[in-house]
Amino acid sequence: MNDTNPLIEFQHATLGYGRKIVLQDVNFAIHIGDYFGMVGPNGAGKTTLLRAILGTLKPLAGEVRVRTNSGEPLRFGYVPQRDSIDSILPYAVHEVVMMGRYREVGLLRSPRQRDIDIVRESLRHVDIEDLHNRSFRDLSGGQKQRVLIARALATKPAILILDEPTNGMDLSSRISILELIRKLHDEDQMTVILVTHLLDDIANYVKRVAIVERNFFQVGNVDEVLTAENLSTLYQMPIQVAHLNGSKLILAGGARGK
Amino acid sequence: MEANLFLPEALVGNSEIITTIFREFPYALYGSIIVGILCAFLGVYIVAKRVVFLGAVLTQVSVLGLAITFLPITPLSHSLGSLIVTLIAVIILSRLLTGKKIPRDAVLGFVFVSSIAVRILVLQKIEKVETSEIENLLRGDILFVTPDLFYIMLAVFVGAMVVHLLFFKEFTYISFDAETAGTQGFKATFWETVFYVIAAIVIATATHMVGDIFVFGFLVIPPLAGLLLAKRVKLIFLIAMLVGTLSPLLGLFLAFKFDFPSSPAIVAVASALLAAAWIANMARRA
Repeated sequence: MNDTNPLIEFQHATLGYGRKIVLQDVNFAIHIGDYFGMVGPNGAGKTTLLRAILGTLKPLAGEVRVRTNSGEPLRFGYVPQRDSIDSILPYAVHEVVMMGRYREVGLLRSPRQRDIDIVRESLRHVDIEDLHNRSFRDLSGGQKQRVLIARALATKPAILILDEPTNGMDLSSRISILELIRKLHDEDQMTVILVTHLLDDIANYVKRVAIVERNFFQVGNVDEVLTAENLSTLYQMPIQVAHLNGSKLILAGGARGK
Repeated sequence: MEANLFLPEALVGNSEIITTIFREFPYALYGSIIVGILCAFLGVYIVAKRVVFLGAVLTQVSVLGLAITFLPITPLSHSLGSLIVTLIAVIILSRLLTGKKIPRDAVLGFVFVSSIAVRILVLQKIEKVETSEIENLLRGDILFVTPDLFYIMLAVFVGAMVVHLLFFKEFTYISFDAETAGTQGFKATFWETVFYVIAAIVIATATHMVGDIFVFGFLVIPPLAGLLLAKRVKLIFLIAMLVGTLSPLLGLFLAFKFDFPSSPAIVAVASALLAAAWIANMARRA
């Protein structure tokens, strides 16, 4: 990790829309090789923070610095929320993954052999090469998520950003996706940002975490930040952090305010 | 004007009907085919984006625009007036449809019904003889497409298809996943705007030429046939455009043969092809 030269750096950034301020005086950095989680209640500002990272939302005040690579903008491999894609048209899996190459293919050109090879390699990387010709719209939730991760990998990203990747999945699909992301981080040294409202996903997989809430923005290592005290304050209810067989368990106890 | 007024009673042979259509009404024939192909092509995106009702709204807005140009105070030509009103509607709708207070379909419903109401009021204030063009369009008579109108439509057809083929990747990506496309440097708002401006130009020009029933019908029916029959996206476009080509040919023939108004006959043929596609799809699944 190189603290002096972060990939993304928020400096006293105020984020919001028009006059509506969502997050104020945000300060943190994401470095090469980070596995960074962003967690918080619904509507607390996770998506706003994500948009600022992706450059689709300019800060109202302060700065969001994104490092360039030889003058080229940092390349993001973005995996959107699966439910945000409502495909009526039966795009084949390889066509969806090829969209990740569209930027490189260029105007008036068909994908070259190199693009086709990268699509195949990306599908192989997430263990769904056999789905190559299947229709995206007919896949299960877990399979769709892998296709979207493959498309993000096909962009040859500097950072992989996943927005609620396990939302609405059954337990086995959820663990399978989280293990895949961990593999991409561990084996490929991929810098990963994982956005979720599921505390267990964050607690057991990421290395550093940001609790996103306007009046309670915290950043640090998982053990420092995901404490019973912080989480109880964040959710305004008693929360315990327990350990079982090396895994962290987040236990919510009692009614709100008790 | 009904088709039978221009056919001698003795003309009953099918080959004579075909010859008459090709010789006497080439602009209606070729014009309806290019509108059929273009609306079918754009319709695939419109159905995929779930904005079918927007197509219905824009056809009514363009008829309103056409009606306004018949008012003595309007200095614009019919085509230009209809186009300007439709483009203004697209710009206003693009603002209204992003609001959260009022549902999108309610906004579209409001524009749809108010366009029809205002058009009726406008037509009441125009000399009867001058409204015949609009009334013919609303009744579904497309036989008297002028060469000027045909060549304008041809130019719109070429322009729209060239832009869509040049920027196929952009339109595809934005319609499938605008959010992610935006993170890769594709300007989602820009390409969405380009799409709707092209749709407005096509709908305004086509509605002036072949009427609202034809245009809205071909924005919906051929894409549905493609969706039922094809398992690949490119094939959906091809089948939709094939239905867009065959329906005007068959529909005009049947309009002459059975003395039907041409535009509803063409839409009825497209509907019959859709029904055949549905049956074929059911048979394949059985």
